Amino acid sequence: MARYEFTYPSILEAEGRMLNDLVRVLARHRMTGLAKQSVLVVMCEAFNNALLHGNKLDPKKKIKVVVTIKKREVTADIIDEGRGGLEKVRKRQPSRKWAESGRGIGIIGHYASSVNFRETERGGLKVSITFEPDDKKILSKC
Amino acid sequence: MEIVMKEVGAVVVLHLKGRLDLASGAGLKDEIKALLEKEKNLLHLNLAEVDFINSSGLGVLVSVMKDARLHKGRLTVSNLAAYVQEIFEITQLSHIFEIFATEAEALDSYQSVNAD
Repeated sequence: MARYEFTYPSILEAEGRMLNDLVRVLARHRMTGLAKQSVLVVMCEAFNNALLHGNKLDPKKKIKVVVTIKKREVTADIIDEGRGGLEKVRKRQPSRKWAESGRGIGIIGHYASSVNFRETERGGLKVSITFEPDDKKILSKC
Repeated sequence: MEIVMKEVGAVVVLHLKGRLDLASGAGLKDEIKALLEKEKNLLHLNLAEVDFINSSGLGVLVSVMKDARLHKGRLTVSNLAAYVQEIFEITQLSHIFEIFATEAEALDSYQSVNAD
């Protein structure tokens, strides 16, 4: 089992840094193709939620990303330092046809094998995501 | 993200390369806004070299599509990688965008509209 931990400031450029770090981790574990893309897009959606809605681009607040890879099973936690994130997730409405935002949670739900939202002791949001190797959603695309 | 522009008749073709995400989307919005201000409102986006797109990137595409329509224009897209095509489908944006398999097919469609 391999565990990777990264911490980012809440600035726009952090999205690219996180993706670059994740690309390197997945390459190390020979994860390629659409299975890799699924992990990248889900992680990016959760990360951007933390960046924009959790930490509200406050550079003093951090986002912690923990990725664990066991064989081909990937689990990840994305933890922000915001407030009331769980309530925002609960109140979320489906995006309208011409909306310019609000599609991230749907994308996470489509590609992840499981996703869990919890509030941390400090009031931030912890999103835990699992990609299982026998999940047909992912395997069919390898 | 890298943007390479060319004009084919009345249509401005933008080749996008790299990630279309939160950070890079603003650049595309600015380019399209500048084109629309110059009354260039027939736009085609070739996404062949877009290797990553997320909901922020999709939001930018919806935004520029709305801008093009506000300017009585048209925006088409083509050459979607399988993964990008799937993202369009699961978010149901495939219903609102004019998606073509190739750039040539998209450009042909502008000819047929003009001929009608």
